[in-house]
Amino acid sequence: MKSAVIGTGEISAEHLKFLANSKATDLVGVCDLSPAAAGYAAKTFGAENAYTDYKQMLDEAKPEVVHVLTPPQSHVPISTDCLDAGAHVICEKPVTLGHDQFASLWNHADKKQKRLIEDHNYRFNRPVLKIEKLIADGVLGDVMEVDIRMALAIRDGGRFADRNLPNPAHKLPAGVIHDFITHLSYLVLRFIPDPDKVSAAWTNHGGDDLFKFDDLDAILIAGDKHARIRFSCRTAPDCFAITVRGTRAEVQTDLFHPFMRLIKPRTGGEKLAPVVNQLANGLSLVGSSCSTLRNKLMQRTPYEGLHTFLNRTYDALQHDAEPPVTFDDMDRTSRLIDQMLAEGNWV
Amino acid sequence: MKLLITGASGFLGRHLVAQAVMRGHDVRAQVRPVSDIKSLGWENHPRVEIVRADLRSRAGLDDLVRGVDAVISNAACKAGDFYTQFAGTVITTENLLQAMANTDVKRLVAVSTFSVYGFLKMSDRELLDEESPLDTDPIDRDEYAQTKLVQEQLARGFAKEHQGKVTVVRPGVVYGKDNLWTARIGMELGANRCLVVGGRSILPITYVENCAQAIVFAAEKEQAVGQTYNIIDDDLPTHRQYLRALNQHRKPRMKSLPMPWLVMRFLAAIALGVNKLFLGRQAKIPSILRPAALHARCKPSTYTNKLIKDSLGWSPHFALDEAITRSVADTDPATLTPEPATEQTTADHETRTCA
Repeated sequence: MKSAVIGTGEISAEHLKFLANSKATDLVGVCDLSPAAAGYAAKTFGAENAYTDYKQMLDEAKPEVVHVLTPPQSHVPISTDCLDAGAHVICEKPVTLGHDQFASLWNHADKKQKRLIEDHNYRFNRPVLKIEKLIADGVLGDVMEVDIRMALAIRDGGRFADRNLPNPAHKLPAGVIHDFITHLSYLVLRFIPDPDKVSAAWTNHGGDDLFKFDDLDAILIAGDKHARIRFSCRTAPDCFAITVRGTRAEVQTDLFHPFMRLIKPRTGGEKLAPVVNQLANGLSLVGSSCSTLRNKLMQRTPYEGLHTFLNRTYDALQHDAEPPVTFDDMDRTSRLIDQMLAEGNWV
Repeated sequence: MKLLITGASGFLGRHLVAQAVMRGHDVRAQVRPVSDIKSLGWENHPRVEIVRADLRSRAGLDDLVRGVDAVISNAACKAGDFYTQFAGTVITTENLLQAMANTDVKRLVAVSTFSVYGFLKMSDRELLDEESPLDTDPIDRDEYAQTKLVQEQLARGFAKEHQGKVTVVRPGVVYGKDNLWTARIGMELGANRCLVVGGRSILPITYVENCAQAIVFAAEKEQAVGQTYNIIDDDLPTHRQYLRALNQHRKPRMKSLPMPWLVMRFLAAIALGVNKLFLGRQAKIPSILRPAALHARCKPSTYTNKLIKDSLGWSPHFALDEAITRSVADTDPATLTPEPATEQTTADHETRTCA
């Protein structure tokens, strides 16, 4: 399929690596407002042409799939133009700034008979896929509790702390946390899909005028099932921790430093099971440390899921099948973010 | 002349402003919006106009450039990941050059670096001069080399596309106050130990005041237009001699562990071979064990500053010992004594912000 990329920021490296290595795609164009950035990306990843005007690229290169990787504020107009030009759209998160916008953009894609797919890359990381398999195999029993916790030192330097040229993410409805909230939301919804009560504490503990919020603590309840979403920039080390507790077992992982700790009924009965669990998890940790070392050496990053996501997405597009991230996935995610941001649900 | 100096609050930038003023120029000094300007050394000088602007954004850059005779493009980013450095080095230059084109300012002195050279293609002891090959495949080099290569291409593009009068200057290792260690010597092993690779290799250094003066010369002289100059000092020390000179002023002394160049080169070749054969060349190897990066850092080459000396009549004012003495002194060599300000110049001297 003929593919093109709009926006050559940091995340574009992962999309472009995939496109450069994929046999299913032909990278016909890369576009950025900066000619130098577009040219560099095109040269590095073997795109046929570099553009600074995406409309010109749509017109001349006629891509069948466009990856929209620009700041979120520009997703709706750019995606609309891509759909109008007859291209499927794979869009970075958040696809829109609210559910109303999402519904409208989805309807537009539907009218044009094109796919609109939001990047839910962490859903395709190996530990998450393993947890889903544990649930499908009945190992965890019924899922009762989920904790999703991200800690990132965004105030201590880097693109979000830059006061010289504040990152556009600061202007999103939830400030810079909006840049991460999609990940936290779609992951929690994989395990507890229909929360009926949502409450959220949005706080700016740092208390300055650059950050709107720097901390989120949200509780979701669906009947007798509970979930918690945490975002913190004040705890160390950085983590992206997931804990899922079921009626039979509990599993923990961290997507930044992958490991898997599974506590389940094991041979040895009630008294010996804790010992067997510790031994089994100890061995598993040793294996994880070897994997982490290998990942570091081989430059495998937590973006590994993005490649699986794109692979499955292109496979679906080629065969006119349902993409791995469906309307329901995006619709629920967008609604949940709106619910957390609704002032009536604030703690 | 009225000179615009970008990146004016940085290590080299502060000295560029000081040297330009000492040579009788008026300076518009670009600093970033939240840079601390309290101790630049010339923040109250009547011939310096400080303008706050972030070159990563095009907003207000035409006003920044308008009315100057020449631009010394010195802003660059040496820290952070590739995308941070690309924005801080390449996008900034691209925006600056666009503003120069918009305002019809033609004269540009682009501050590049020795890092753009393709050391891997050169033989040991080969003379590195302005004709030496650039790195055409910098994928195994660091982000700094990769982005500076693109930046230099932009400057040359400005000469072609906008009839710019461009001079490219490539300083070697610039040293001075608070910047005395260089990775070209080898590798730091904790606070007071270092691995010295190729102790007898020559270190292509230039003291920051000497370097700044050379760059201002390049902006002044008509014969510099269209030229590329390497900037290094005279009587270059070896790695070992430089470390010895540093240790005369350092307590505790930096203890060195010698590593012959040929051994280090062999180890890097082994690392590359293992990476290629067994790891599909995907493994992230420390830069000192990547041949392209190791050769750029530590290769025993020979150097010359003949072209800039002959062409511009520049010669480095401070020799190594005096330069290090100035670097470790309590006084800051970039500090200018303010001239007595007239009422008019005082009124003129306000920090401006480009929006």
